[in-house]
Amino acid sequence: MNWRAELDELRLRERLAGEMGGADKVKRQHDGGRLTVRERIDKLVDAGSFHETGAIAGNAVYDAHNELKSFAASNCVFGRARVDGRPVVVVGDDFTMRGGSADASIYEKPLMAERMAAEFRLPIIRVIEGSGGGGSVKTIETTGRANLPGGVGHAIGFHYTTANMAAVPVIALGLGSVAGLGAARLAASHYSVMTKSSAMFVAGPPVVARVGQDLSKQELGGWEIQTRSGAVDHAVDSEEEAFACARRFLSYLPSSVYELPPKRATDDDPERRDESLMDAIPRDRRKVYKIRPIIEAVVDRGSFFEMGAMFGRPIVTGLARLDGRPVGIMASDPYFYAGSWTTAACQKIVRFVDLAETFHLPVVYLMDCPGFLIGLDAERAATIRHGVRAMAAINQTSIPWCTIIIRNCFGVAGAAHQPAGRLALRYAWLSSYWGSLPLEGGIEAAYRAEIDAAPDPAAKLREIEERLNKLRSPFRTAEAFWVEEIIDPRETRPLICEFARLSDTLVAPGPSTFAMRP
Amino acid sequence: MADVSVISELNAVVLKIEVAAGDRVQAGDTLIVLESMKMEIPVAAPRAGTVAAILVEEQQPVEEGQKLAILGA
Repeated sequence: MNWRAELDELRLRERLAGEMGGADKVKRQHDGGRLTVRERIDKLVDAGSFHETGAIAGNAVYDAHNELKSFAASNCVFGRARVDGRPVVVVGDDFTMRGGSADASIYEKPLMAERMAAEFRLPIIRVIEGSGGGGSVKTIETTGRANLPGGVGHAIGFHYTTANMAAVPVIALGLGSVAGLGAARLAASHYSVMTKSSAMFVAGPPVVARVGQDLSKQELGGWEIQTRSGAVDHAVDSEEEAFACARRFLSYLPSSVYELPPKRATDDDPERRDESLMDAIPRDRRKVYKIRPIIEAVVDRGSFFEMGAMFGRPIVTGLARLDGRPVGIMASDPYFYAGSWTTAACQKIVRFVDLAETFHLPVVYLMDCPGFLIGLDAERAATIRHGVRAMAAINQTSIPWCTIIIRNCFGVAGAAHQPAGRLALRYAWLSSYWGSLPLEGGIEAAYRAEIDAAPDPAAKLREIEERLNKLRSPFRTAEAFWVEEIIDPRETRPLICEFARLSDTLVAPGPSTFAMRP
Repeated sequence: MADVSVISELNAVVLKIEVAAGDRVQAGDTLIVLESMKMEIPVAAPRAGTVAAILVEEQQPVEEGQKLAILGA
Protein backbone atom coordinates (compact mmCIF):
# COMPACT_ATOMS: atom_id res chain seq x y z
CA MET A 1 0.00 0.00 0.00
CA ASN A 2 2.23 2.75 -1.32
CA TRP A 3 -0.54 5.35 -1.23
CA ARG A 4 -2.28 4.48 2.05
CA ALA A 5 -1.90 7.97 3.51
CA GLU A 6 -3.35 9.65 0.44
CA LEU A 7 -6.22 7.18 0.26
CA ASP A 8 -6.97 7.88 3.93
CA GLU A 9 -6.96 11.61 3.27
CA LEU A 10 -9.29 11.18 0.29
CA ARG A 11 -11.73 9.18 2.42
CA LEU A 12 -11.48 11.73 5.22
CA ARG A 13 -12.30 14.59 2.88
CA GLU A 14 -15.21 12.64 1.41
CA ARG A 15 -16.46 11.93 4.91
CA LEU A 16 -16.23 15.60 5.86
CA ALA A 17 -18.15 16.54 2.71
CA GLY A 18 -20.79 13.96 3.62
CA GLU A 19 -21.38 15.73 6.93
CA MET A 20 -22.80 18.65 4.94
CA GLY A 21 -23.57 21.68 7.15
CA GLY A 22 -22.98 19.68 10.35
CA ALA A 23 -25.20 17.74 12.76
CA ASP A 24 -27.11 20.81 13.98
CA LYS A 25 -28.02 21.99 10.52
CA VAL A 26 -28.96 18.47 9.43
CA LYS A 27 -31.19 18.14 12.50
CA ARG A 28 -32.84 21.46 11.68
CA GLN A 29 -33.49 20.21 8.13
CA HIS A 30 -35.06 17.01 9.47
CA ASP A 31 -37.06 18.87 12.11
CA GLY A 32 -38.53 20.96 9.30
CA GLY A 33 -39.79 17.74 7.72
CA ARG A 34 -37.22 17.88 4.95
CA LEU A 35 -34.55 15.46 3.80
CA THR A 36 -30.96 16.49 3.22
CA VAL A 37 -29.72 16.75 -0.34
CA ARG A 38 -27.85 13.44 -0.06
CA GLU A 39 -30.89 11.64 1.34
CA ARG A 40 -32.97 13.12 -1.47
CA ILE A 41 -30.62 11.91 -4.17
CA ASP A 42 -30.49 8.43 -2.59
CA LYS A 43 -34.28 8.17 -2.59
CA LEU A 44 -34.67 9.67 -6.05
CA VAL A 45 -32.36 7.36 -8.02
CA ASP A 46 -31.81 3.60 -8.30
CA ALA A 47 -30.31 2.28 -5.04
CA GLY A 48 -26.57 2.86 -4.82
CA SER A 49 -26.32 4.24 -8.35
CA PHE A 50 -25.20 7.80 -7.51
CA HIS A 51 -21.68 8.61 -8.62
CA GLU A 52 -20.71 12.07 -7.47
CA THR A 53 -18.57 14.57 -9.35
CA GLY A 54 -16.50 16.99 -7.30
CA ALA A 55 -17.46 15.48 -3.96
CA ILE A 56 -14.51 17.04 -2.14
CA ALA A 57 -14.81 20.50 -3.66
CA GLY A 58 -15.41 23.16 -1.04
CA ASN A 59 -13.71 25.56 1.33
CA ALA A 60 -10.90 24.15 3.45
CA VAL A 61 -9.17 25.78 6.39
CA TYR A 62 -5.55 24.83 7.13
CA ASP A 63 -3.52 25.22 10.31
CA ALA A 64 -0.08 26.81 10.59
CA HIS A 65 1.52 23.59 9.37
CA ASN A 66 -0.75 23.48 6.35
CA GLU A 67 -2.65 20.54 7.80
CA LEU A 68 -6.37 20.35 7.04
CA LYS A 69 -8.21 21.88 10.02
CA SER A 70 -11.78 21.98 8.78
CA PHE A 71 -13.68 21.55 5.59
CA ALA A 72 -16.99 22.92 4.31
CA ALA A 73 -18.24 21.23 1.16
CA SER A 74 -19.77 23.16 -1.70
CA ASN A 75 -23.53 23.27 -1.33
CA CYS A 76 -23.99 22.01 -4.86
CA VAL A 77 -24.03 18.20 -5.02
CA PHE A 78 -24.09 16.63 -8.46
CA GLY A 79 -23.22 13.54 -10.42
CA ARG A 80 -24.57 10.74 -12.51
CA ALA A 81 -27.02 8.10 -11.37
CA ARG A 82 -29.56 5.73 -12.83
CA VAL A 83 -33.35 5.96 -12.84
CA ASP A 84 -35.10 2.72 -13.81
CA GLY A 85 -31.71 1.61 -15.10
CA ARG A 86 -31.24 4.65 -17.36
CA PRO A 87 -28.38 7.10 -16.73
CA VAL A 88 -29.30 10.63 -15.65
CA VAL A 89 -27.58 13.68 -14.17
CA VAL A 90 -28.74 14.81 -10.74
CA VAL A 91 -27.88 18.18 -9.25
CA GLY A 92 -29.04 19.25 -5.80
CA ASP A 93 -28.75 22.18 -3.43
CA ASP A 94 -27.49 21.52 0.09
CA PHE A 95 -29.67 23.77 2.22
CA THR A 96 -27.72 22.87 5.37
CA MET A 97 -24.78 24.75 3.92
CA ARG A 98 -25.52 28.47 4.00
CA GLY A 99 -29.15 27.95 2.99
CA GLY A 100 -28.19 26.76 -0.47
CA SER A 101 -26.94 30.23 -1.36
CA ALA A 102 -24.13 31.01 -3.82
CA ASP A 103 -21.83 32.07 -0.98
CA ALA A 104 -21.04 28.43 -0.39
CA SER A 105 -21.48 27.20 -3.94
CA ILE A 106 -18.78 26.83 -6.51
CA TYR A 107 -19.99 28.39 -9.70
CA GLU A 108 -18.62 25.67 -11.98
CA LYS A 109 -20.41 22.78 -10.22
CA PRO A 110 -24.04 23.43 -11.18
CA LEU A 111 -22.74 24.63 -14.54
CA MET A 112 -20.94 21.34 -15.17
CA ALA A 113 -24.05 19.37 -14.19
CA GLU A 114 -25.97 21.15 -16.93
CA ARG A 115 -23.09 20.72 -19.41
CA MET A 116 -22.83 17.04 -18.58
CA ALA A 117 -26.53 16.58 -19.31
CA ALA A 118 -26.22 18.48 -22.58
CA GLU A 119 -23.04 16.90 -23.87
CA PHE A 120 -23.62 13.33 -22.67
CA ARG A 121 -27.27 13.62 -23.74
CA LEU A 122 -28.71 12.67 -20.37
CA PRO A 123 -31.88 13.83 -18.59
CA ILE A 124 -31.19 16.23 -15.73
CA ILE A 125 -33.06 16.32 -12.45
CA ARG A 126 -32.62 19.52 -10.44
CA VAL A 127 -33.32 19.11 -6.72
CA ILE A 128 -33.78 22.71 -5.66
CA GLU A 129 -33.90 24.35 -2.27
CA GLY A 130 -32.93 27.91 -1.37
CA SER A 131 -31.79 30.41 -3.92
CA GLY A 132 -30.46 27.57 -6.04
CA GLY A 133 -26.92 28.88 -6.19
CA GLY A 134 -28.02 32.47 -6.56
CA GLY A 135 -26.33 34.98 -4.30
CA SER A 136 -27.46 36.81 -1.22
CA VAL A 137 -26.72 40.45 -0.53
CA LYS A 138 -23.89 39.23 1.69
CA THR A 139 -22.05 38.03 -1.40
CA ILE A 140 -21.01 41.61 -2.06
CA GLU A 141 -18.99 41.60 1.16
CA THR A 142 -17.26 38.31 0.43
CA THR A 143 -16.34 39.27 -3.13
CA GLY A 144 -15.88 42.98 -2.47
CA ARG A 145 -17.80 43.97 -5.57
CA ALA A 146 -21.29 43.86 -7.02
CA ASN A 147 -22.19 41.04 -9.35
CA LEU A 148 -23.34 42.00 -12.81
CA PRO A 149 -26.09 39.45 -13.55
CA GLY A 150 -25.19 37.73 -16.80
CA GLY A 151 -21.86 39.56 -16.81
CA VAL A 152 -18.49 38.33 -18.12
CA GLY A 153 -17.99 34.67 -17.27
CA HIS A 154 -21.35 34.38 -15.54
CA ALA A 155 -23.80 34.08 -18.42
CA ILE A 156 -23.11 30.54 -19.57
CA GLY A 157 -25.07 29.00 -16.70
CA PHE A 158 -28.16 30.84 -17.90
CA HIS A 159 -27.50 29.47 -21.35
CA TYR A 160 -27.80 25.87 -20.16
CA THR A 161 -30.71 26.68 -17.84
CA THR A 162 -32.89 27.22 -20.88
CA ALA A 163 -30.96 25.56 -23.74
CA ASN A 164 -31.12 22.11 -22.15
CA MET A 165 -34.87 22.17 -22.66
CA ALA A 166 -34.29 21.70 -26.39
CA ALA A 167 -31.91 18.78 -25.82
CA VAL A 168 -32.73 16.60 -22.82
CA PRO A 169 -35.58 16.08 -20.35
CA VAL A 170 -35.29 18.68 -17.58
CA ILE A 171 -37.11 17.89 -14.36
CA ALA A 172 -37.10 20.25 -11.40
CA LEU A 173 -38.19 19.57 -7.83
CA GLY A 174 -38.81 22.46 -5.43
CA LEU A 175 -38.33 21.13 -1.90
CA GLY A 176 -38.41 23.87 0.70
CA SER A 177 -38.16 27.60 0.10
CA VAL A 178 -37.08 28.35 -3.44
CA ALA A 179 -36.27 31.89 -4.53
CA GLY A 180 -34.49 33.91 -7.18
CA LEU A 181 -32.21 31.83 -9.38
CA GLY A 182 -33.62 28.72 -7.70
CA ALA A 183 -37.11 29.74 -8.83
CA ALA A 184 -35.79 30.31 -12.35
CA ARG A 185 -34.18 26.85 -12.40
CA LEU A 186 -37.45 25.35 -11.16
CA ALA A 187 -39.59 27.08 -13.77
CA ALA A 188 -37.16 26.48 -16.68
CA SER A 189 -38.05 22.79 -16.88
CA HIS A 190 -40.29 20.40 -18.78
CA TYR A 191 -41.90 19.21 -15.59
CA SER A 192 -41.75 20.70 -12.11
CA VAL A 193 -43.04 19.41 -8.80
CA MET A 194 -43.13 21.05 -5.38
CA THR A 195 -44.13 19.68 -2.01
CA LYS A 196 -47.16 21.29 -0.41
CA SER A 197 -45.06 22.59 2.47
CA SER A 198 -42.69 24.32 0.05
CA ALA A 199 -42.88 27.82 -1.34
CA MET A 200 -41.46 29.32 -4.50
CA PHE A 201 -41.10 32.97 -5.40
CA VAL A 202 -38.94 35.44 -7.26
CA ALA A 203 -38.36 37.19 -3.94
CA GLY A 204 -39.45 36.07 -0.49
CA PRO A 205 -41.60 37.75 2.18
CA PRO A 206 -38.95 40.14 3.62
CA VAL A 207 -38.22 41.57 0.17
CA VAL A 208 -41.90 41.69 -0.77
CA ALA A 209 -42.65 43.49 2.51
CA ARG A 210 -40.57 46.37 1.20
CA VAL A 211 -43.02 46.81 -1.69
CA GLY A 212 -45.87 46.86 0.79
CA GLN A 213 -47.15 43.29 0.83
CA ASP A 214 -47.19 41.54 4.17
CA LEU A 215 -47.49 37.87 3.28
CA SER A 216 -46.31 34.54 4.64
CA LYS A 217 -44.22 32.24 2.46
CA GLN A 218 -47.29 30.10 1.75
CA GLU A 219 -49.49 33.10 0.96
CA LEU A 220 -46.89 34.43 -1.42
CA GLY A 221 -45.67 31.32 -3.17
CA GLY A 222 -47.30 28.22 -1.74
CA TRP A 223 -48.46 25.35 -3.91
CA GLU A 224 -51.96 26.71 -4.45
CA ILE A 225 -50.53 29.94 -5.83
CA GLN A 226 -47.85 28.34 -7.99
CA THR A 227 -49.78 25.41 -9.45
CA ARG A 228 -52.73 27.66 -10.32
CA SER A 229 -50.39 30.25 -11.84
CA GLY A 230 -48.79 27.55 -13.97
CA ALA A 231 -45.28 28.33 -12.69
CA VAL A 232 -45.08 24.84 -11.15
CA ASP A 233 -46.77 21.81 -12.73
CA HIS A 234 -47.66 19.68 -9.75
CA ALA A 235 -47.75 19.62 -5.94
CA VAL A 236 -47.44 16.58 -3.69
CA ASP A 237 -47.59 15.87 0.05
CA SER A 238 -44.16 14.30 0.49
CA GLU A 239 -40.68 14.42 -1.01
CA GLU A 240 -40.95 10.69 -1.78
CA GLU A 241 -43.99 11.42 -3.96
CA ALA A 242 -42.05 14.15 -5.76
CA PHE A 243 -39.29 11.63 -6.56
CA ALA A 244 -41.89 9.14 -7.82
CA CYS A 245 -43.36 11.84 -10.10
CA ALA A 246 -39.91 12.59 -11.53
CA ARG A 247 -39.23 8.92 -12.23
CA ARG A 248 -42.65 8.41 -13.80
CA PHE A 249 -42.33 11.48 -16.05
CA LEU A 250 -38.97 10.20 -17.30
CA SER A 251 -40.42 6.78 -18.12
CA TYR A 252 -42.34 8.27 -21.08
CA LEU A 253 -39.42 10.21 -22.52
CA PRO A 254 -36.27 9.41 -24.44
CA SER A 255 -33.01 10.28 -22.64
CA SER A 256 -32.46 13.06 -25.14
CA VAL A 257 -33.89 14.40 -28.39
CA TYR A 258 -31.40 12.09 -30.17
CA GLU A 259 -33.45 9.05 -29.18
CA LEU A 260 -37.08 7.99 -29.51
CA PRO A 261 -39.49 7.52 -26.59
CA PRO A 262 -39.12 4.05 -25.01
CA LYS A 263 -41.78 1.47 -25.82
CA ARG A 264 -42.97 -0.87 -23.12
CA ALA A 265 -44.90 -4.13 -23.25
CA THR A 266 -48.56 -3.83 -22.24
CA ASP A 267 -51.13 -6.43 -21.30
CA ASP A 268 -53.98 -4.07 -22.17
CA ASP A 269 -55.63 -5.22 -25.40
CA PRO A 270 -55.28 -2.50 -28.06
CA GLU A 271 -58.63 -3.65 -29.47
CA ARG A 272 -60.40 -3.16 -26.13
CA ARG A 273 -63.73 -1.36 -26.55
CA ASP A 274 -64.91 0.36 -23.42
CA GLU A 275 -68.72 0.24 -23.13
CA SER A 276 -68.83 3.29 -20.88
CA LEU A 277 -67.88 5.48 -23.84
CA MET A 278 -71.28 4.99 -25.46
CA ASP A 279 -72.96 6.94 -22.63
CA ALA A 280 -70.09 9.25 -21.73
CA ILE A 281 -71.51 12.37 -23.40
CA PRO A 282 -74.92 13.64 -22.17
CA ARG A 283 -77.52 14.33 -24.88
CA ASP A 284 -78.35 17.62 -23.16
CA ARG A 285 -75.72 20.00 -24.49
CA ARG A 286 -75.86 22.10 -21.35
CA LYS A 287 -74.71 19.18 -19.24
CA VAL A 288 -71.04 18.53 -18.55
CA TYR A 289 -69.21 15.23 -18.24
CA LYS A 290 -65.90 14.16 -16.70
CA ILE A 291 -63.10 13.93 -19.25
CA ARG A 292 -60.51 12.05 -17.16
CA PRO A 293 -62.45 8.74 -17.05
CA ILE A 294 -62.77 8.99 -20.84
CA ILE A 295 -58.99 9.39 -21.19
CA GLU A 296 -58.43 6.47 -18.81
CA ALA A 297 -60.82 4.35 -20.87
CA VAL A 298 -58.93 4.78 -24.13
CA VAL A 299 -55.24 4.73 -23.15
CA ASP A 300 -53.29 1.70 -21.88
CA ARG A 301 -54.80 0.94 -18.48
CA GLY A 302 -53.22 3.04 -15.73
CA SER A 303 -50.83 4.83 -18.07
CA PHE A 304 -52.26 8.36 -17.99
CA PHE A 305 -49.90 10.84 -16.30
CA GLU A 306 -51.41 14.30 -16.04
CA MET A 307 -49.27 17.45 -16.03
CA GLY A 308 -50.31 20.93 -14.93
CA ALA A 309 -53.78 19.91 -13.70
CA MET A 310 -54.39 23.16 -11.80
CA PHE A 311 -53.50 25.57 -14.61
CA GLY A 312 -55.27 26.41 -17.88
CA ARG A 313 -57.97 24.01 -16.78
CA PRO A 314 -60.22 24.01 -19.88
CA ILE A 315 -57.43 21.85 -21.31
CA VAL A 316 -56.08 18.66 -19.76
CA THR A 317 -52.57 17.64 -20.82
CA GLY A 318 -50.49 14.61 -20.01
CA LEU A 319 -48.53 11.60 -21.17
CA ALA A 320 -49.86 8.10 -21.67
CA ARG A 321 -49.18 4.90 -23.58
CA LEU A 322 -51.07 3.42 -26.50
CA ASP A 323 -50.25 -0.21 -27.26
CA GLY A 324 -47.09 0.39 -25.20
CA ARG A 325 -46.01 3.54 -27.06
CA PRO A 326 -45.63 6.85 -25.21
CA VAL A 327 -47.89 9.60 -26.56
CA GLY A 328 -49.00 13.06 -25.56
CA ILE A 329 -52.66 13.40 -24.62
CA MET A 330 -54.51 16.69 -24.83
CA ALA A 331 -58.21 16.89 -23.98
CA SER A 332 -60.89 19.47 -23.25
CA ASP A 333 -62.55 19.72 -19.84
CA PRO A 334 -66.12 21.04 -20.10
CA TYR A 335 -66.17 21.84 -16.36
CA PHE A 336 -64.03 24.89 -17.13
CA TYR A 337 -65.74 27.37 -19.45
CA ALA A 338 -67.19 24.48 -21.43
CA GLY A 339 -63.69 23.65 -22.63
CA SER A 340 -63.25 27.00 -24.37
CA TRP A 341 -59.73 28.27 -24.79
CA THR A 342 -58.66 30.86 -22.23
CA THR A 343 -55.33 32.67 -22.27
CA ALA A 344 -54.00 30.22 -19.70
CA ALA A 345 -55.30 27.22 -21.65
CA CYS A 346 -53.53 28.54 -24.75
CA GLN A 347 -50.24 28.90 -22.83
CA LYS A 348 -50.66 25.36 -21.56
CA ILE A 349 -51.25 24.07 -25.09
CA VAL A 350 -48.08 25.76 -26.39
CA ARG A 351 -45.97 24.24 -23.61
CA PHE A 352 -47.49 20.80 -24.08
CA VAL A 353 -47.24 20.75 -27.86
CA ASP A 354 -43.62 21.94 -27.72
CA LEU A 355 -42.80 19.14 -25.26
CA ALA A 356 -44.37 16.56 -27.57
CA GLU A 357 -42.53 17.94 -30.60
CA THR A 358 -39.19 18.10 -28.78
CA PHE A 359 -39.33 14.48 -27.63
CA HIS A 360 -41.03 12.93 -30.67
CA LEU A 361 -44.29 12.05 -28.93
CA PRO A 362 -47.32 11.57 -31.20
CA VAL A 363 -50.32 13.57 -29.96
CA VAL A 364 -53.90 12.47 -29.47
CA TYR A 365 -56.34 15.35 -28.89
CA LEU A 366 -59.76 14.53 -27.48
CA MET A 367 -61.49 17.77 -28.35
CA ASP A 368 -64.64 19.47 -27.16
CA CYS A 369 -64.08 23.14 -27.83
CA PRO A 370 -66.90 25.66 -28.24
CA GLY A 371 -64.35 28.31 -29.24
CA PHE A 372 -62.32 30.88 -27.37
CA LEU A 373 -63.56 32.28 -24.08
CA ILE A 374 -65.63 35.36 -24.92
CA GLY A 375 -66.47 38.55 -23.08
CA LEU A 376 -64.68 41.66 -21.87
CA ASP A 377 -62.26 39.89 -19.52
CA ALA A 378 -61.23 37.55 -22.33
CA GLU A 379 -60.64 40.49 -24.69
CA ARG A 380 -58.58 42.30 -22.04
CA ALA A 381 -56.46 39.16 -21.60
CA ALA A 382 -55.61 39.09 -25.35
CA THR A 383 -57.22 35.68 -25.70
CA ILE A 384 -57.14 35.88 -29.48
CA ARG A 385 -53.38 36.53 -29.64
CA HIS A 386 -52.63 33.72 -27.22
CA GLY A 387 -55.09 31.66 -29.25
CA VAL A 388 -53.36 32.14 -32.59
CA ARG A 389 -50.06 31.48 -30.81
CA ALA A 390 -51.40 28.09 -29.69
CA MET A 391 -52.64 27.48 -33.22
CA ALA A 392 -49.16 28.36 -34.55
CA ALA A 393 -47.56 25.94 -32.08
CA ILE A 394 -49.83 23.16 -33.35
CA ASN A 395 -49.18 24.12 -36.98
CA GLN A 396 -45.40 24.09 -36.42
CA THR A 397 -45.35 20.50 -35.19
CA SER A 398 -44.10 17.62 -37.30
CA ILE A 399 -45.10 14.82 -34.91
CA PRO A 400 -47.98 12.55 -35.92
CA TRP A 401 -51.32 13.97 -34.79
CA CYS A 402 -54.74 12.40 -34.26
CA THR A 403 -57.86 14.28 -33.21
CA ILE A 404 -61.04 12.78 -31.83
CA ILE A 405 -63.91 15.28 -31.89
CA ILE A 406 -66.05 14.19 -28.98
CA ARG A 407 -68.55 17.05 -28.87
CA ASN A 408 -68.17 20.72 -29.83
CA CYS A 409 -65.94 22.14 -32.51
CA PHE A 410 -66.61 25.84 -33.07
CA GLY A 411 -64.80 28.85 -34.40
CA VAL A 412 -61.11 29.54 -34.79
CA ALA A 413 -60.18 27.69 -31.60
CA GLY A 414 -62.15 24.75 -32.97
CA ALA A 415 -60.23 24.96 -36.25
CA ALA A 416 -56.96 24.62 -34.34
CA HIS A 417 -57.69 20.99 -33.59
CA GLN A 418 -54.97 19.64 -35.84
CA PRO A 419 -51.90 20.98 -37.69
CA ALA A 420 -53.44 22.83 -40.60
CA GLY A 421 -50.76 22.30 -43.23
CA ARG A 422 -50.47 18.52 -43.29
CA LEU A 423 -52.53 15.38 -43.02
CA ALA A 424 -53.56 14.27 -39.55
CA LEU A 425 -56.00 11.55 -38.57
CA ARG A 426 -59.43 12.70 -37.40
CA TYR A 427 -62.48 10.91 -36.09
CA ALA A 428 -65.74 12.41 -34.84
CA TRP A 429 -67.93 10.80 -32.19
CA LEU A 430 -71.68 10.43 -32.72
CA SER A 431 -72.13 13.29 -30.24
CA SER A 432 -70.24 15.74 -32.48
CA TYR A 433 -71.69 19.21 -32.94
CA TRP A 434 -69.94 21.91 -34.91
CA GLY A 435 -70.11 25.13 -36.84
CA SER A 436 -68.41 28.44 -37.51
CA LEU A 437 -70.11 29.85 -34.45
CA PRO A 438 -72.71 28.54 -32.01
CA LEU A 439 -76.33 29.12 -33.03
CA GLU A 440 -77.16 30.93 -29.81
CA GLY A 441 -76.20 34.53 -30.40
CA GLY A 442 -75.10 33.72 -33.93
CA ILE A 443 -78.72 33.68 -35.15
CA GLU A 444 -79.47 37.07 -33.63
CA ALA A 445 -76.50 38.49 -35.52
CA ALA A 446 -77.11 36.85 -38.88
CA TYR A 447 -80.92 37.05 -39.07
CA ARG A 448 -81.50 40.37 -37.29
CA ALA A 449 -83.65 41.95 -40.05
CA GLU A 450 -85.86 38.88 -40.35
CA ILE A 451 -86.30 38.63 -36.57
CA ASP A 452 -86.97 42.34 -36.08
CA ALA A 453 -89.61 42.34 -38.86
CA ALA A 454 -91.54 39.41 -37.39
CA PRO A 455 -94.70 40.09 -35.35
CA ASP A 456 -93.33 37.79 -32.61
CA PRO A 457 -89.52 38.10 -32.71
CA ALA A 458 -88.99 35.44 -30.02
CA ALA A 459 -91.08 32.92 -31.93
CA LYS A 460 -89.25 33.80 -35.14
CA LEU A 461 -85.90 33.21 -33.38
CA ARG A 462 -87.05 29.77 -32.21
CA GLU A 463 -88.30 28.92 -35.70
CA ILE A 464 -84.97 29.83 -37.31
CA GLU A 465 -83.06 27.95 -34.62
CA GLU A 466 -85.15 24.82 -35.25
CA ARG A 467 -84.63 25.12 -39.00
CA LEU A 468 -80.87 25.45 -38.66
CA ASN A 469 -80.57 22.71 -36.06
CA LYS A 470 -82.01 20.23 -38.52
CA LEU A 471 -79.03 20.94 -40.76
CA ARG A 472 -76.63 20.40 -37.86
CA SER A 473 -76.41 16.63 -38.13
CA PRO A 474 -72.75 15.59 -38.44
CA PHE A 475 -73.90 13.07 -41.05
CA ARG A 476 -74.66 15.93 -43.46
CA THR A 477 -71.09 17.15 -42.98
CA ALA A 478 -69.72 13.64 -43.54
CA GLU A 479 -71.89 13.31 -46.66
CA ALA A 480 -69.93 16.22 -48.18
CA PHE A 481 -66.65 14.70 -46.88
CA TRP A 482 -65.95 17.78 -44.78
CA VAL A 483 -65.15 15.31 -42.05
CA GLU A 484 -63.51 11.97 -42.79
CA GLU A 485 -65.27 9.65 -40.42
CA ILE A 486 -67.92 9.49 -37.73
CA ILE A 487 -67.28 6.67 -35.29
CA ASP A 488 -68.88 4.67 -32.52
CA PRO A 489 -66.98 6.07 -29.50
CA ARG A 490 -66.12 2.53 -28.42
CA GLU A 491 -63.89 2.29 -31.51
CA THR A 492 -61.65 5.05 -30.15
CA ARG A 493 -59.02 2.91 -28.44
CA PRO A 494 -58.47 0.52 -31.36
CA LEU A 495 -58.16 3.51 -33.71
CA ILE A 496 -55.75 5.55 -31.60
CA CYS A 497 -53.64 2.44 -30.90
CA GLU A 498 -53.44 1.92 -34.67
CA PHE A 499 -52.41 5.59 -34.94
CA ALA A 500 -49.65 5.03 -32.35
CA ARG A 501 -48.33 2.00 -34.29
CA LEU A 502 -48.41 3.94 -37.58
CA SER A 503 -46.41 6.66 -35.85
CA ASP A 504 -43.50 4.25 -35.25
CA THR A 505 -42.01 4.98 -38.64
CA LEU A 506 -42.99 8.65 -38.76
CA VAL A 507 -40.92 10.01 -35.91
CA ALA A 508 -37.19 10.50 -36.27
CA PRO A 509 -34.68 11.35 -33.56
CA GLY A 510 -32.93 14.71 -33.61
CA PRO A 511 -33.39 18.28 -32.47
CA SER A 512 -36.65 20.04 -33.26
CA THR A 513 -36.63 22.82 -35.86
CA PHE A 514 -37.20 25.24 -32.97
CA ALA A 515 -35.86 25.22 -29.43
CA MET A 516 -38.53 24.78 -26.78
CA ARG A 517 -38.84 27.70 -24.38
CA PRO A 518 -39.78 27.31 -20.71
CA MET B 1 -63.33 18.23 11.48
CA ALA B 2 -62.52 21.76 10.38
CA ASP B 3 -64.95 23.63 8.16
CA VAL B 4 -64.05 23.74 4.48
CA SER B 5 -64.83 26.52 2.03
CA VAL B 6 -66.32 25.47 -1.26
CA ILE B 7 -64.99 27.86 -3.88
CA SER B 8 -65.88 28.60 -7.48
CA GLU B 9 -63.18 27.36 -9.82
CA LEU B 10 -64.25 29.79 -12.54
CA ASN B 11 -66.07 33.02 -13.32
CA ALA B 12 -69.73 32.11 -13.65
CA VAL B 13 -73.31 32.88 -12.61
CA VAL B 14 -75.09 30.94 -9.86
CA LEU B 15 -77.86 29.05 -11.66
CA LYS B 16 -79.31 26.86 -8.90
CA ILE B 17 -78.69 26.29 -5.22
CA GLU B 18 -79.48 22.66 -4.49
CA VAL B 19 -78.97 22.56 -0.71
CA ALA B 20 -79.70 24.73 2.29
CA ALA B 21 -77.78 25.43 5.48
CA GLY B 22 -78.19 22.51 7.85
CA ASP B 23 -78.52 19.88 5.08
CA ARG B 24 -76.45 16.74 5.44
CA VAL B 25 -74.48 15.95 2.25
CA GLN B 26 -72.23 13.16 1.01
CA ALA B 27 -68.93 13.66 -0.82
CA GLY B 28 -69.71 14.35 -4.48
CA ASP B 29 -73.27 15.62 -3.90
CA THR B 30 -74.09 18.69 -5.95
CA LEU B 31 -74.35 21.77 -3.75
CA ILE B 32 -74.69 24.49 -6.33
CA VAL B 33 -75.00 24.63 -10.11
CA LEU B 34 -73.08 27.38 -11.88
CA GLU B 35 -73.59 28.55 -15.42
CA SER B 36 -70.72 29.48 -17.68
CA MET B 37 -70.48 29.58 -21.47
CA LYS B 38 -74.09 28.25 -21.54
CA MET B 39 -73.09 25.11 -19.63
CA GLU B 40 -74.33 23.93 -16.27
CA ILE B 41 -71.39 23.25 -13.98
CA PRO B 42 -72.21 21.30 -10.81
CA VAL B 43 -70.16 22.19 -7.74
CA ALA B 44 -69.76 19.08 -5.64
CA ALA B 45 -69.19 18.62 -1.91
CA PRO B 46 -65.48 17.85 -1.43
CA ARG B 47 -66.37 15.59 1.52
CA ALA B 48 -69.36 14.48 3.56
CA GLY B 49 -70.65 16.98 6.11
CA THR B 50 -73.33 19.45 7.04
CA VAL B 51 -73.83 22.61 5.02
CA ALA B 52 -72.91 25.40 7.43
CA ALA B 53 -73.68 28.29 5.13
CA ILE B 54 -74.54 29.20 1.55
CA LEU B 55 -72.80 32.45 0.69
CA VAL B 56 -74.34 33.24 -2.68
CA GLU B 57 -77.76 33.69 -4.28
CA GLU B 58 -79.20 32.42 -7.54
CA GLN B 59 -78.41 34.66 -10.53
CA GLN B 60 -75.43 36.17 -8.70
CA PRO B 61 -72.20 36.43 -10.72
CA VAL B 62 -69.23 34.81 -8.98
CA GLU B 63 -65.52 34.98 -9.65
CA GLU B 64 -62.85 32.32 -9.74
CA GLY B 65 -61.73 31.69 -6.16
CA GLN B 66 -64.91 33.13 -4.59
CA LYS B 67 -66.37 31.22 -1.64
CA LEU B 68 -69.76 29.73 -2.44
CA ALA B 69 -70.53 27.73 0.66
CA ILE B 70 -69.08 26.51 3.93
CA LEU B 71 -69.19 22.82 4.70
CA GLY B 72 -69.12 21.87 8.39
CA ALA B 73 -68.55 18.59 10.18
